[in-house]
Amino acid sequence: MMIPYGQRITPDPRTTRSRGLMRPRPVGRIVRIGVAALLALWFALPVVPLLIWSVANRWSFPSPLPTEWGFDGLAQALAQGGVPAFGRSILLGLAVAAIATPLGALAARALTFGRVPAPRLVSGILLAPLALPAFVAVMGLTIVLLRARVPATIAVLLLLVAAALPYTVYTMRVAYAAHDIAFEEEARTLGASRAHVLARVHLPLVAPGLARAAFLAFLVGWSDYVVTVLVGGGTLVTLPLLVGAFAAGVGNDAVVAVLSVSAIIPPLLLLLALGRFGRRYAGGRLAAPTPSRSPKGSP
Amino acid sequence: MLPIPGPGAAIARARPRASAARDRWMALAFVAPALLIAGFVVVGGIGMSVIQSVGLLPLVGEAEFSLDAYVANGDELLTGLALSLGIATASTVLSCVIGLAAAIIITQGRTTGRVVAALSALTIPIPHLVGAASIGLLIADSGLIPRLFGIPSAVWPDLVGGPWWVAVVLEYTWKESAFVALVVAGVLATRVARYDETAALLGASRARRLRHVVIPLATPAVIVSAIIIFVYTLGSYEVAWLLGRPYPEPLPVLAFRLFTSITLTSRPEAAAVAVVTTLVSLLVVAIGMAMLRRTPLWK
Repeated sequence: MMIPYGQRITPDPRTTRSRGLMRPRPVGRIVRIGVAALLALWFALPVVPLLIWSVANRWSFPSPLPTEWGFDGLAQALAQGGVPAFGRSILLGLAVAAIATPLGALAARALTFGRVPAPRLVSGILLAPLALPAFVAVMGLTIVLLRARVPATIAVLLLLVAAALPYTVYTMRVAYAAHDIAFEEEARTLGASRAHVLARVHLPLVAPGLARAAFLAFLVGWSDYVVTVLVGGGTLVTLPLLVGAFAAGVGNDAVVAVLSVSAIIPPLLLLLALGRFGRRYAGGRLAAPTPSRSPKGSP
Repeated sequence: MLPIPGPGAAIARARPRASAARDRWMALAFVAPALLIAGFVVVGGIGMSVIQSVGLLPLVGEAEFSLDAYVANGDELLTGLALSLGIATASTVLSCVIGLAAAIIITQGRTTGRVVAALSALTIPIPHLVGAASIGLLIADSGLIPRLFGIPSAVWPDLVGGPWWVAVVLEYTWKESAFVALVVAGVLATRVARYDETAALLGASRARRLRHVVIPLATPAVIVSAIIIFVYTLGSYEVAWLLGRPYPEPLPVLAFRLFTSITLTSRPEAAAVAVVTTLVSLLVVAIGMAMLRRTPLWK
């Protein structure tokens, strides 16, 4: 069959969308939009009372809107040590991320490219903290850590890093699976030192994966409650501990809402930053030379 | 610095013996820090819980093997187990159904899909404790929903702290359905479009495509998320503590109360509850992995 130059042989997507097999039918469309609306409501609704309560001084029962708006909740949260607790939570999240991300990346790199003995057993142990309830680890190890005189903060950090490792290892294994080691080999053959390759080739190429892993590890430290309560024994008052203390009482709705909103905002900002970073990175100059599919060792 | 990269790969072939051994040691050194931390917490946590639960590590007095700790709260242990299994099952099933629906809507693309994707992603980084506080403000007898519909407290059912643990299951379902949506949509986005179009070209109806293409492709991801959710909800403390009722207690709440109690015998009893929870978790993981192996897509 002769195809005149410039003529499409594949159907134009604009026309196939309007009359193709995948075209939405009116009934299907209504169902889809209805289900999507319900799902949107399902995901968004629970946050609504938090937002309203955080700027309500008084909200007596049958009234659908606060009877008195104001910032009493904020004032009370500040007076009850909200700021130091916020700072401690940030530090805890950052510390967990700073330890668990490089360790996870090292392990993932060795599992992807290296010759780790018994690789299935090693991966199994690294994923095992996911299957172990946090309180079991705490109750078993508290007595050991106490007798070894490990400070409470270090003990909390150790347990949270272990809880974060499955996420960082898994995320970095995905990142290294898509990583072409030929770039590093080429840089080495061109005379770059190992440190240079690490800083200029290896780390920039896996940076999006590292960012995702660090975000997940931060979340583990940021949202933990039970480890901090049981091991810290009240010495390490983080934001979730404050939320828990007020939420367990009665009539603290405004403080709880303010503290809760302040516990949602930092990870949310990080998530948005992560999305922007990933997109900019993918479109930026670093991703321009798409990894070649050349066999390993022959750059 | 790096395990196997660089020109090492080429040189390794030239002198296989010594280099292979060195590669193995390097890989092991890379895995070691993460492995030691995860191994210490998992093996140490389970091991020390078992040792304490059989009375071999008492706070005071002679170490003597006994199963008293398992018998002392026999009734509470059994009720707690049944309750925890019920909560975990309900939360897992509901999250998977809602999350799968959200994932299908998300992979359809279009504006509705993007809205659902954004809202479910924003739910992910919210700590469970904050989720519990907001669900409380939403559906307690003075919450936002009874206010909006003008339902007096006397008529409104006991969703928070009531006999059916509705608020607890709702909180888990809310958070974990977003998790399922994220995981499953990620898998569907990479695979489903091509198969779906092929099936449509071959004349499959919408219902049959959903039944024979989309759902089978999503099954492995759903099973993996179901395992993670079940184990998490089985061992999670703060939500059940905040939104539940004082009696009966789910396993983590029971263990927490015994662990923080001042009675000398209660530490082994808490450890016994921890051991039972761990056994159930491991059993669930084993069942889940067996189910995963039986799916046609498992490689």
